[in-house]
Amino acid sequence: MTLAIVIIIAAAVCLAVILRLAVSRSLQVSADGKIAGRIQPIDVEAFRNLANPTEDEYLRRSLPAAEFRNVKRKRLRAISAYVQVAGRNATVLVQIGQAALLSSDPRAVEAARQLVEQALLLRRNAAFVLIRIQIALLWPNHGLLVSGVLPGYERLSGCALLLSRLQNPAAPVRISAM
Amino acid sequence: MLQAHSIFWHYLWVAPNLLLLILAVILWKRGTARQFPAFATFAFLGSVGQVCVYASDMLPSVTPDAYWRIVWGDLILEVILKFALIAEIFGLLFGSYAVVARLGKLLIRGVGVALILAAAVAAAYAPRIELVAIINGANLFDQTIFLVESGVLGFIFLFSFYFRLSWPRQLFGIALGLSISACVHLATWALISNAGLPYFSRLISVFLNMAIYHLCVLIWFYYLLVPKKDAVKPVVSVPEHDLEVWNRELERLIHQ
Repeated sequence: MTLAIVIIIAAAVCLAVILRLAVSRSLQVSADGKIAGRIQPIDVEAFRNLANPTEDEYLRRSLPAAEFRNVKRKRLRAISAYVQVAGRNATVLVQIGQAALLSSDPRAVEAARQLVEQALLLRRNAAFVLIRIQIALLWPNHGLLVSGVLPGYERLSGCALLLSRLQNPAAPVRISAM
Repeated sequence: MLQAHSIFWHYLWVAPNLLLLILAVILWKRGTARQFPAFATFAFLGSVGQVCVYASDMLPSVTPDAYWRIVWGDLILEVILKFALIAEIFGLLFGSYAVVARLGKLLIRGVGVALILAAAVAAAYAPRIELVAIINGANLFDQTIFLVESGVLGFIFLFSFYFRLSWPRQLFGIALGLSISACVHLATWALISNAGLPYFSRLISVFLNMAIYHLCVLIWFYYLLVPKKDAVKPVVSVPEHDLEVWNRELERLIHQ
């Protein structure tokens, strides 16, 4: 009987999760118009500084070992917060990109396809980096590579800008260097 | 009404399978079967298999031993069809995104192996409820199929949710129906195989299984045959204030 109860609970949890996700899918479809408002801006420069291995090396040389570990853990938590926001922004851009795939303009469809690909890549890399951060929190002396997230975020920004331009050419795009 | 061989019992066994057979024929005629070949095959062969099992239950010339052999044959066919269908769902949902597909394949293999091991352990510890080995085996095989099936489908839903991938409407309907059926059947087969239920409770479980399967067939009908409402989907563009923030950040990056 115990085995039956365990399996029944597992089946009920699985069904509840699936139904919950199914409901959230319908809500997602109906809330497509408001989705872009969920994007949270990221200070890329601050993120870059935090993830810079040279700065880590400088801190390691300048601080006593115990203090370095303490500072490193704080920096790792800050990186983790940035990576989480980047990952969440990526999911919003996946949804925006998928909606734009239905566009009648082939250039917009291509831009949307690239945006979705980049956003998925960033989301995946963000998950891996978050796991690495959790490990690095246990061994702060060990170096942490956040490669993949920052360049990915930059590429993603580029794709999002391109798609925005194609969808709304009248919008003022202020990249003077381009 | 809640008795074996009552009109309700006949209805719940035959009607969903006939409906599924009709759905398969409609899908082939409309050409939708080319989009979902595994589902169309599952609908056709799965329902034909169940009608054969029903007929063998009704025919007095079929011995109990022969009946259970037919049940086993149908179960094996069902396993092949269901896992082909799950592969089709996975392929259609993630196939166009190489990054996600690679990771998904790796993870789903791991989840599949873990579920098979869990199902094997559950089957090994299950008590021998039935006196006849072939019936016990069939019950445990059912439990094993539904455990692996519901676990893998749950993984697919969670994985797509993590990446916020949107499901095509028809594919979503197929997966939803299959998942509801798998989870409810898993719970009822776990009870039947492990709890030693009295006759009436066991009968209720069988009725529940048949009723849920009927509901799932109706879900497939709705998602595959009822056209989507022509709501104009708004073009979601990146909001201007975010665009400005991004531009600012990009400008900074470019000038570094």
